[in-house]
Amino acid sequence: MVYAVEVLDLGKRFREILALDGLTFRVEEDKIFGLIGPNGAGKTTALRIISTLILPTAGSASVFGHNVVSEASEVRKLISYLPEEAGAYKSMSGYEYLQFMGKFNSTDKRDLKVMVEDAAAISGLGERLRDRVKTYSKGMKRRLLVARALMNKPKLAVLDEPTSGLDVLHSYHVRGIIKKHVEKHGVTVLLSSHNMLEVDYLCDRVALINRGKIVAEGAPAELKSRYKALNLEEVFAEVAGLA
Amino acid sequence: MLEGLGNVVVKEVKELMRDPKILIGMIIVPVLMFPLMGFAIRISMQTAVESVKALSIGVIDQDGGRYAQMLFNIFSNSNLTVIRLVATSVEQVAKDVQESNMTAVVIIPADFSQNITNDKQAKVYVYGVFRGTGMAETAGASAVVSLVNGFSKSLALQKVGNIAILDPISQSQETIVKGKVVSASPSVLSTLVLSQHIGLPIGIMVLLVFAMQIAATSVASEKEEKTLETILTMPVGRFTILLGKLAGSVVVAAVGAVALVASLNYYMGSLTFISPTQPSVDLASIGLAPTLPAYLVLGASLFVALLSSLALAIAVSSFAEDVRSAQAIVGYFYFILFIPMIFLMYADISMLPLTLRLVLLAIPYTHPMLAARASFTGDYTTVVLGIVYVTAFTLVVLYIAARIFTTEKILTMRLRLRRQKLKREE
Repeated sequence: MVYAVEVLDLGKRFREILALDGLTFRVEEDKIFGLIGPNGAGKTTALRIISTLILPTAGSASVFGHNVVSEASEVRKLISYLPEEAGAYKSMSGYEYLQFMGKFNSTDKRDLKVMVEDAAAISGLGERLRDRVKTYSKGMKRRLLVARALMNKPKLAVLDEPTSGLDVLHSYHVRGIIKKHVEKHGVTVLLSSHNMLEVDYLCDRVALINRGKIVAEGAPAELKSRYKALNLEEVFAEVAGLA
Repeated sequence: MLEGLGNVVVKEVKELMRDPKILIGMIIVPVLMFPLMGFAIRISMQTAVESVKALSIGVIDQDGGRYAQMLFNIFSNSNLTVIRLVATSVEQVAKDVQESNMTAVVIIPADFSQNITNDKQAKVYVYGVFRGTGMAETAGASAVVSLVNGFSKSLALQKVGNIAILDPISQSQETIVKGKVVSASPSVLSTLVLSQHIGLPIGIMVLLVFAMQIAATSVASEKEEKTLETILTMPVGRFTILLGKLAGSVVVAAVGAVALVASLNYYMGSLTFISPTQPSVDLASIGLAPTLPAYLVLGASLFVALLSSLALAIAVSSFAEDVRSAQAIVGYFYFILFIPMIFLMYADISMLPLTLRLVLLAIPYTHPMLAARASFTGDYTTVVLGIVYVTAFTLVVLYIAARIFTTEKILTMRLRLRRQKLKREE
């Protein structure tokens, strides 16, 4: 079986810091998979390796059977990556930004038009898309970026803290977008978060990561019952030895 | 292979053009720089000419004789405005003169005509009016002195009847330019050429400094605005992104180069306007103004030098974490722009010691400055070799930049300029 993402014994060392230490997990197609853990656990490093931005120092990772190192350009055609701290070009309007990014996925004018219209709908920004990005609030910018990440219906969307820094309303909107989009278009999502509520709501399956290793994995309900916990936060405290 | 290049280039140009700093620095400043310099030269010369016309002098003729009248007519026929005053001494009119706009007062004493007739030395009293308004205020008195000198000489000639006795040696000053004799004195020509030699290196340097600033921000602003990671995961080659960035900066820089050359052309035109006392010299007619091929060679040399500085700026600023660090890093390279500028402003490269000459030739930015002079020196071989050298230099820099771009170093390299703390030794 070909997994959407297959990570085997992945390691990454930045000089004296070991960011990933034998990370292993698999993501099935059309599922939402969440990597959860505290700051510095290695979530972002893992997502950046899968997104072909940085190279692993041990192990391997593949996306739909394509190795992220040796077949990086193939992988880039399948994925869409939303970094935790991402921005859009300030001098462009929301529409121009979507068009600029869309052109990398399709040069066909009709395809591009459909893509940008979809993105406009996903973002829910309406007429504000005609304004320059520099006039957007943080929440609006994030909605634009999430729309950008999903507009080309990638086979795999890698979303690093999709609701990072957003207030309740914007977070609610963004979570709704992701859930709806996956159901409608069959996109596989690999996301990271330290918001346990968000993960519980969104993910079919989660992996708890601590100090560069997976410490527990399963469906949210299964994990809660396994550790006799009320929520994923308690699960995490239990497995990380904090309880 | 370079799919998506057009998209990146269009985005770069759009972003750059929408940044007011860049619009001003790259296009408006070069467009205005030389015309402004030319304008300054023109204005100062016109003012000099016009100020002589506007000068008025007062003349007290106590003689009333034939020669006094001749001198008075000489004053009246000059550009000066002559006002006849009546007084027995200068003290009588001094106060009124000071309050008027007269710049000089001339007294022709009672024995003036008689002395000349009797072959005695006649005297004229010239009083300059000092008001502390600047250099131009001495012009009235100087004009009077030179008019009196001229009159004195012509009277002497009438009496002696042979100019060779009065002026045993006369000089004719002309210049040989490119094997042709030009009727202009060497000092006039050298003033013209000097103004070009100083103006051009400054102009080229300003353009290069702005170009490097632009390119330095192109990668760093993507890092600062957190857009770099996203674009690096798009299905587009890393080298394509690099080339797109370079091409975007080049489009803006090329507009700047064209603006500079056009502006230079205007400047050269304004240099043909010469001071009121010297015969006018047209640089184009004596083959010293750049011709069309000279402009083309200069444009090409300027373009490759720009390309090399942009590639260099992109390569070194890729390590910077934010825009400010990037500009600071690029700032360290400005001194290599200053070196050729300083030397070429004051020296002819062929006169310099061999080692220094080689050092200068190794700096890519020397070459457009040499190209700018090719119309004077006729040394097009060095210019063409320079273009080849700078192109090769650019390719090497681009290769290095591409290597940085295709690895994770572009994201993981952290170069932030920290203020160094000075530790006091105990």
